[in-house]
Amino acid sequence: MSVALFIVLAVFILGGGLAVVVTRNVVQAALALLVSLVAVAGIYLVLYAEFLALVQVLIYGGAIVIVLIFAIMLTRNAEYPRTSDNRQWPLAALAALGLLGVLVPSFLINAVRGTEPSNASFTGIGESLFTTWAVPFEVASLVLLVALIGAIIIARSGPGEN
Amino acid sequence: MVRLDSFAVFFKIIISAATAATILFSVRSAELDPETKGEYYALLLAVTLGMYLMASSTHLLMIYLSLETVSLTSYILAGFLTHSPRSSEAAFKYITFGAISSGTMLFGISLLFGMTGTGDIMLISSRLGEMFSQGDVYPLAVLLSITFILAGVGYKIASVPFHMWSPDVYEGAPIPITAFLSVASKSAGFAMFIRLFYSGFKSADASIDWSLMLAVVSALTMTVGNLAALPQQNVKRLLAYSSISHGGFLLMGGVLLTSEGLQAILIYLVIYLFMNLGAFFVVILIANEVGSETIDGYRGLGSRAPLIAVSMAIFLFSLTGLPPLAGFAGKWILFAAVIKEKLYWLAIIGLLNSVVALYYYVRIVKAMFLETSDDTESLSFSPGSLVLLLVFVVPTLLLGIYWNPLYELSRVSLGKLMG
Repeated sequence: MSVALFIVLAVFILGGGLAVVVTRNVVQAALALLVSLVAVAGIYLVLYAEFLALVQVLIYGGAIVIVLIFAIMLTRNAEYPRTSDNRQWPLAALAALGLLGVLVPSFLINAVRGTEPSNASFTGIGESLFTTWAVPFEVASLVLLVALIGAIIIARSGPGEN
Repeated sequence: MVRLDSFAVFFKIIISAATAATILFSVRSAELDPETKGEYYALLLAVTLGMYLMASSTHLLMIYLSLETVSLTSYILAGFLTHSPRSSEAAFKYITFGAISSGTMLFGISLLFGMTGTGDIMLISSRLGEMFSQGDVYPLAVLLSITFILAGVGYKIASVPFHMWSPDVYEGAPIPITAFLSVASKSAGFAMFIRLFYSGFKSADASIDWSLMLAVVSALTMTVGNLAALPQQNVKRLLAYSSISHGGFLLMGGVLLTSEGLQAILIYLVIYLFMNLGAFFVVILIANEVGSETIDGYRGLGSRAPLIAVSMAIFLFSLTGLPPLAGFAGKWILFAAVIKEKLYWLAIIGLLNSVVALYYYVRIVKAMFLETSDDTESLSFSPGSLVLLLVFVVPTLLLGIYWNPLYELSRVSLGKLMG
């Protein structure tokens, strides 16, 4: 059952990803990205990581793709339809296939460890965020603070204001 | 997660010294807008904290997070002169390049995590050793993940082929930030490199020959940095390319990860701190007084500002590696470490590059002492600036003759890392 679910979700993820790269319309690419990311949230649900699925939909679908579409709207008014015109796609496809050729045998030969869900419930994550993972958590908040300050500095300057 | 040992303390001292110097430089810099000075110093302290964490992190996630902290803050600091298009261009190129490199590194980290099941570097080391001895691992995949992680590390230390951001960013950023990035960012990057490769991947090196990869990267970095610096007219860009080639020299010590090699890296980083910060301080002083960042602005400086010109000559000769200055001592220790491991071809490339580097460093000295400019009034500098300059000149002179305390200090700092 979970294998069937996984295959359906994988089709969406790969299809969405392929559409992002192949399509020439930037808005369609952003929406295809949305499809791909929400399907990844589905994978998290299949793995019983509900918090992660929730956060994935909220942040990726709800914030990142929205910001992406806003940015497209605010900067590319006249050039909506034809913006991606990449002539290097054969080389890129070759590199991607080469990467696949290395990764597939490695995942078949190596046992991927760490797949037992441990403490993945809401309370479990909350506990570990403040005990085991407290330092990365605080550093992440520093990263956000710095990004916020930077955005204000860069956006605030206008010509010759006092 | 985060480990406080003597190795981390050594790097924290280097980074703190660089930050203190940058703050003193920024006070004297005429480029920065007084309105946003509060944010500037706050960001400078934030990036210092990020670099402290980079030097102390022992978990893959923590390494990535601290790298991102430093990177994001550096992007903002590089683009701090919002009214200057060059500064904005520098920040944009930095962001694009840094984002791609960080993303690649994160992919490598995820692969490594998947293969070993843990993020802690010490545990990865033992797991990799186990996996290779039992033979149930696909070496190419481990090599691939290490290569991807090297992409992120290489971007931070500006080694080929991840060096492309360096000249544009160094040229466009405010000069104190350029000085800071060239020294502190490189030191933090090397701390991360040593922790990852020595504590993490050394157990895998019997089966994967990543030392050859590192040696080739080192050789390419030295050569590309030097050759690209030859035609430069802008002093900041020239020092950026020279900084790239010094990164290549430093990487030479890290190729086989022997204790002599790592010690050589630590010693050279301290010497490099004094030389490079001193050179950039002179660039700041000249940019403030003469208003020029090109070599033409340095003409006749020997007669106009003799103390500054002599100091700059000392820094430039030290960067080349001429005795009896500190740069020579640093390079000698590095070459000794490389030759001890019988990597003769790498040492020869390093020597040839040192010789080639003389050309572009001496071009500035020639402009200062052998050419005259139309404007012949002598320049005056505040006593504070001269004292600060001496703080950099004196160690550059002394460490070339008496480097034993530094040698002992680096040996002690590495002691805990080996164990």
